[in-house]
Amino acid sequence: MTRPNRLRLILRDLGTGAAFASMAVSGQLPIWALGLFAVALVVALTGRRPFSRLPRLTAVLLVPLAGALYLAVASGRMDLVVAACSFAGLVAGQRLLSETSPSTDGQVLLAGLLMVAGGAALSGELFFAVCLMAFAVLASLSLGLAVVEAAVPVGEPVPVREVMRPLAKGTLFALLGAVAFFILFPRLNWNVGARRASPGLGTATSGFSDTVRLGGSGTLKSNPRVVLRATLAPDPGTEQLGAYWLGRTYDTFDGQEWSTIGAPKKRSRTRVTLRPGADKQVYQKVELLPAYGSRTLIALETPSKLGNALVHTSTGTRRTQLQELGGDELRFVVEGLGYSYEVYSVPPGTDTDPGKLEQLEHDQLLALPDNLDPRVTELARQVLGDEKDPLTAANKLSSWLQREYTYTLELGGDVTDPLTEFLFARKAGHCEHFATALTLLLRSQGFQARLATGFFGGERIGDEYILRAGDAHAWTHVLVPGRGFVTVDATPPAFRANQSLELLESLVSIYEAIESAWRSSVVDYSFRDQMNFVRDLTRPPRAPGDKKRLDLPPMRAWVTAVLVGVAVYQAWRYLSRRKPRTKALEATRFVDAVERQLAAVGVKPRDGETLEDVSARLTREAHPLAPAVSPLTRRYLEARFGQRALQPGESAQLLKGLKLAIAALPPEEKHQQKARA
Amino acid sequence: MNSPARAVSPLPSPTTARATLERVAANLSLAVQGKDKEVRLAVTCVAAGGHLLLEDVPGVGKTTLVEAIARSFALSFSRVQFTADLMPADILGAQVFHAQSATFNFRPGPIFRQLVLADELNRAPPRTQSALLEAMAQGQVSLDGATHVLPRPFTVVATQNPVDFSGTYPLPDSQLDRFLMRLSLGHPAPEVEARLLTTRDTSSPVEALQAVTSPEELAELRMQVAAQRLDDTVAEYVVRLAQATRSHGDIERGASTRAVLALGMAARAHALWEARDFVTPGDVRAVMGPCLAHRLLLRSANQGAYTRDEATHLLEEVSRKVPAPR
Repeated sequence: MTRPNRLRLILRDLGTGAAFASMAVSGQLPIWALGLFAVALVVALTGRRPFSRLPRLTAVLLVPLAGALYLAVASGRMDLVVAACSFAGLVAGQRLLSETSPSTDGQVLLAGLLMVAGGAALSGELFFAVCLMAFAVLASLSLGLAVVEAAVPVGEPVPVREVMRPLAKGTLFALLGAVAFFILFPRLNWNVGARRASPGLGTATSGFSDTVRLGGSGTLKSNPRVVLRATLAPDPGTEQLGAYWLGRTYDTFDGQEWSTIGAPKKRSRTRVTLRPGADKQVYQKVELLPAYGSRTLIALETPSKLGNALVHTSTGTRRTQLQELGGDELRFVVEGLGYSYEVYSVPPGTDTDPGKLEQLEHDQLLALPDNLDPRVTELARQVLGDEKDPLTAANKLSSWLQREYTYTLELGGDVTDPLTEFLFARKAGHCEHFATALTLLLRSQGFQARLATGFFGGERIGDEYILRAGDAHAWTHVLVPGRGFVTVDATPPAFRANQSLELLESLVSIYEAIESAWRSSVVDYSFRDQMNFVRDLTRPPRAPGDKKRLDLPPMRAWVTAVLVGVAVYQAWRYLSRRKPRTKALEATRFVDAVERQLAAVGVKPRDGETLEDVSARLTREAHPLAPAVSPLTRRYLEARFGQRALQPGESAQLLKGLKLAIAALPPEEKHQQKARA
Repeated sequence: MNSPARAVSPLPSPTTARATLERVAANLSLAVQGKDKEVRLAVTCVAAGGHLLLEDVPGVGKTTLVEAIARSFALSFSRVQFTADLMPADILGAQVFHAQSATFNFRPGPIFRQLVLADELNRAPPRTQSALLEAMAQGQVSLDGATHVLPRPFTVVATQNPVDFSGTYPLPDSQLDRFLMRLSLGHPAPEVEARLLTTRDTSSPVEALQAVTSPEELAELRMQVAAQRLDDTVAEYVVRLAQATRSHGDIERGASTRAVLALGMAARAHALWEARDFVTPGDVRAVMGPCLAHRLLLRSANQGAYTRDEATHLLEEVSRKVPAPR
């Protein structure tokens, strides 16, 4: 095999590999397809083409693979787009192993192009961009070599110098096209794939379960993984939101565990209204990340309306319905890696309708465990005295708890009566202990209360707020007649949010910030965003009330245009300086200069004429420049072909002579020459 | 003669060589008027040491040109009219029995001259043609086991009629290849023809010509030609031109290696016209048509003069397409 041919095949195979990688980086292709393609690529790169004898027959091998993919799609285990991408990869693999002729390169690279499109559909992230560039470069190089191969007869040397320039140009154009494809066009990815999880720092957990069990040991509060990401409207604009994000509530405590008596509603709905809305509702677009690991919806307290839920699974994104469970809990019907949904919440402090509570549920808000230590009731009476207002009582109790008890995450293990242990023995515990104690102390004095769990906090990153796994929290809802459930938190304020290591937290935050910026400016940068950007740039902002409108673009548009112009010019200069300079001979440079000077007065070589021919023609035509040109030509020919090189400075002197001769031309002659040219 | 100077420098300088060539060309133009370009090419061919094929209709001055060349260079000259019954011995010579000494003596034929005009070469049977062509290639004649060296410088100028093919034996391509150049004079321009009518008297213009140089000088000229410098890039250019003819779609068989060598040699000679001691791409292009046109086998079914025109046209196209070194 000739060397250029081998090089072309390697480039083509690597290009196809890059195209495949652009899909593979999404992490959604089945592992067997990945393996098959990798084997095909390695075999092809080693120069073996086992299918080249029977390319048609071996294509039959693709049929069972197509069948397998079809079954996977039909059984719902694989998304159709992923299956199509996998099949494109397999087709490309078969082509790699069978085709070597330049004329069929198009087929292989077309498969590559399909795979790149598939990659755009699957991920469209930074790695995809890298693979896209690699594909553009490798494919254009291999296509260029195929053209060269077709043009140069067998056994003849490749005219490398002539080829390099157009090849480099073509590659540059392909690269620019790829960049334009990636940056300028609206993102093609349809977010088919699962949202990427934050870096793995422990298993996915948010501490959500059907019950809350006191005691045991937990490392939850120190987990910095991001479980939720939300954009709020109106945007509060604070760095630390410090808000309660409700997951669910509990009304029944059996001494060790909290549970709910409310029965799940049978019917699932796409939109759930928990309570009537109010003025100044807070809109949230929430995204639950894979680190969350539960199906319960989280919303700012107090949620009124939830809906538009999407579930992101390994086989794609789809709408999902919500199921209403007892204790105001909402769950996604379908299990997925991540979810996104929209919520309207009533802002804290607003009077809310507690909703229709059945008598049983009302009673349950006062229920005490059967084996409640009598000291608990006694303690509550001591602290509260004869307080009658539930909210005052709750606040009194909570400040007493915060004052008298200490917060700790070190737990004493399972005990039979964790509440008694907390209140009278250890006098230390975590949020669940505080919340449980407050709730039961209130109930023992006849105030209706329940336990609420969810998250506390909200850390601003970019335009979004995030919650970490460590932000998981429990607090108390006190039912105040006429005001609904009011949040009272017995946990000392310093320990409400997560207590993960600051360093770890800041590392995760940095990652989150980068990812968020990457998402907003690249991955999710849509056509609308582009239009907005251009509009913001060119349309002068109008202050409210200011009717005067400028016709010219604002200053920043001019500045940007100038900056872009300077950047382009600098880049051009840099590139033109960096251009691989062919080792031009002194004589060749000289003849170039002579031809430039002649062209300036309209004497141009026609139809592949060299300076020698031009000079002869001028002499023949008795051109006024002929006496000046012919000695120059002779000297050039001597220097170039006669091994009598130009002396230093000689070419400049000769050119000067030519310049003088041109200057001495009668003006009408010059004009005539130019007109003729 | 300035022999001491020659002892130091055996070659004439390019300027001297050019003067010689110009002198000869001017002399020839006295006999063949209005054909400066062809005359110069013919002189180039002779200076390059090649054989010349003149292909033209009768009566345009082929013979005149050849005789004028012989006179100008003061070469011994013979003219052989090729006919269908011409035998090899008629040109090469034969062993003749001497009755007095009772031995066979070699009687040299007309080929033993410095310039041989083979008129209407294609009218002779192939056997005779090949005898001549062999002599052209070898510079000697082998007859009955004895080798007879031809005089130096030795040049054959053959003519043939490109239109009238009846009763001819067209030269095989392999033998056409042995001619360095093929030229055709063509009809002179009308004004030249008119001048001929008015000025030509009874005496032949050739007979009035004087020798302007000598066979020795021609030999030196040929040495000078052989010593001309051919730069690597120009050599590469020559090869690329030849390759372009080989890969051209309309050409069945392109230039051979012998053609490449011939092109190089003719270009070397051509450089002398500019008093250069090196070859430029322009030299190569100038002699490319006459050197290569008759060596190409074209795909088209044209014959005779049409083939010639088409080949010239294709070569022009090739020389335009192949970029010259700069």
